[in-house]
Amino acid sequence: MKSYLLIPHTGETEIKVEADTLDGLFRVALEGMNRILKQDYEKELDKHISPHEILISSFDSTSLLIDFLSEALTLSTINKVVFSSIDFLELSENNLHAHLVGTKVDKFTTDIKAVTYHSAEIKKNKEGNYETNIIFDI
Amino acid sequence: MNSKYNLKKITDYIWEIPQSYKSGMRVPARIFASEKLLTEILSDRSLEQLVNVTTLPGIKKFAIAMPDIHEGYGFPIGGIAATSFPDGVISPGGIGYDINCGVRLLKSQIKFEELKAHLDLLAKELHKEIPCGVGKGGALKMGLEKFDIVLNEGILGLIKEGYGQEDIGCIESNGCLQEADTDKVSEHAKKRGKDQLGTMGAGNHFVEVGKVDEIFDQETAKTFGLFPNQVTILIHTGSRGLGHQVATDYVRKMMQVMEKYNVNVADRQLAAAPFSSNEGKDYFAAMSAAANFAWCNRQMIAWEVQRVWKNVLGNSSKLELLYDVAHNIAKIETHVVGNIDEKLIVHRKGATRSFGPGHTEIPDVYLKTGQPVIIPGSMGTESYVLVGTNSAMLESFGSCCHGAGRRMSRHEARKQMQGKDLLEKLKSQDIHVLSDSIADLSEEAPFAYKDVSEVVDVINQSGIAIKVARLKPVVVVKG
Repeated sequence: MKSYLLIPHTGETEIKVEADTLDGLFRVALEGMNRILKQDYEKELDKHISPHEILISSFDSTSLLIDFLSEALTLSTINKVVFSSIDFLELSENNLHAHLVGTKVDKFTTDIKAVTYHSAEIKKNKEGNYETNIIFDI
Repeated sequence: MNSKYNLKKITDYIWEIPQSYKSGMRVPARIFASEKLLTEILSDRSLEQLVNVTTLPGIKKFAIAMPDIHEGYGFPIGGIAATSFPDGVISPGGIGYDINCGVRLLKSQIKFEELKAHLDLLAKELHKEIPCGVGKGGALKMGLEKFDIVLNEGILGLIKEGYGQEDIGCIESNGCLQEADTDKVSEHAKKRGKDQLGTMGAGNHFVEVGKVDEIFDQETAKTFGLFPNQVTILIHTGSRGLGHQVATDYVRKMMQVMEKYNVNVADRQLAAAPFSSNEGKDYFAAMSAAANFAWCNRQMIAWEVQRVWKNVLGNSSKLELLYDVAHNIAKIETHVVGNIDEKLIVHRKGATRSFGPGHTEIPDVYLKTGQPVIIPGSMGTESYVLVGTNSAMLESFGSCCHGAGRRMSRHEARKQMQGKDLLEKLKSQDIHVLSDSIADLSEEAPFAYKDVSEVVDVINQSGIAIKVARLKPVVVVKG
């Protein structure tokens, strides 16, 4: 189970993400960010691919998620790619090691300046799923 | 005014949240607003965010909100916080991701009537020549070595490369923060920004052709070189991907060292470190480089605008720089705290410097009046030119508002009106908008923002800047 939902925010763009595993939460958060970056990126999946390896350490899982999305955003904007596939080699409370595979895009739909820590807090909800809100500065 | 914040009325336009409101507040919070605007401000979480800012170690006097305040992340947008130098904290969140987003105003010597016949061509050429929209690169491609010169030297570095001959005194800080050090800017940041000099970006960034619609202060307008019906050009943009990445890098670094320095903040996005720490100094050096990049970005766009202007109106028609101000920046400035001059780290996030007459950082031409303060309206509404005052030095760390301030989410704005309908509506008001993405236009519609005239009136009435002139848009090239 994994899902994301757009939340109204006066100045920025906010999403709520939910998944039954931590791995799933990271994947759906990336998918949510990708949809903001490039609404219809699946149309471009047959274009050139661009593989990247990322290694991140943070002091808790919430920071790890935001730092992971920030790194993906940075690589996306520098290389003009949307990361449509992710392979986690390690994902723990503090560390992440993954291979990302990106699809080249001609242009993005929205210019995301940054992924913010404000409002982000990974917690388990009543259903036992992981959830958090994420605000993107656009 | 009844609210959960125990708001105390100080004057008709200044409100205070007392330090006793919440434990952990180190100073009170002050809000510049009319009763009407305050009611609007209370409808989102911006004052909660302002209260969080009052908990920053080393904060002095007040955390301050301008009438255009709205909810951001960490710091509210439209906020000012000054911390003690050098041991108070510096917080990248207090500057934001678009470091030195700001505005530059160019003035022509012609009246609107003289431009009318050329207006369509000018609009078309500006839209064609100035890279705008999401992810657009600029015409200027620099090697990394030259790029570093621009980051370290700011406007002078770019002028050496042949892009403009402006009077750098008419740019805040002469278009260069000397503390810049490109060694403190990551490779990621340089890669994000390298091809973006001279690009507007997206969102609320724009290049706007306007005309002087009303003069409020004849004498100051004369000093500023403004006259009725005069054609002006306003440029609004910032440090693009380079600034976004510098902020991203250092918010993360600060988060990792807060424990070491025993800094506790009410919100992760307020992550901070003492200015005197290695991390604090490194951030200020990187932020300064990003600020220099932003001034150069506006310089490059002004250079592109000048080229188009001469092509359309002929070589004898000139555009001159009136002033260039930053909206998102940290500066080391001296202000009075408890009757004593103190050096402070002034964070302005969505706020404009508003120094009064006689200040040593003001160029000679404006020394008697105070610095020009340029407040852009939303797309399709008026912009204002004001003048800084010595009251601002006492009341708001020499600062005032930066624009109208959002009141509606982009999503809600899109639901209210389609882009093409907005385009037609503005056209009926003689405002011509050119954009690569008409569908996104309504995100920046006038109704998505507070009334800029109300915001500016609060600033004027409270005396932290005084109205000089109003500019009416006629062509908007939207990012």
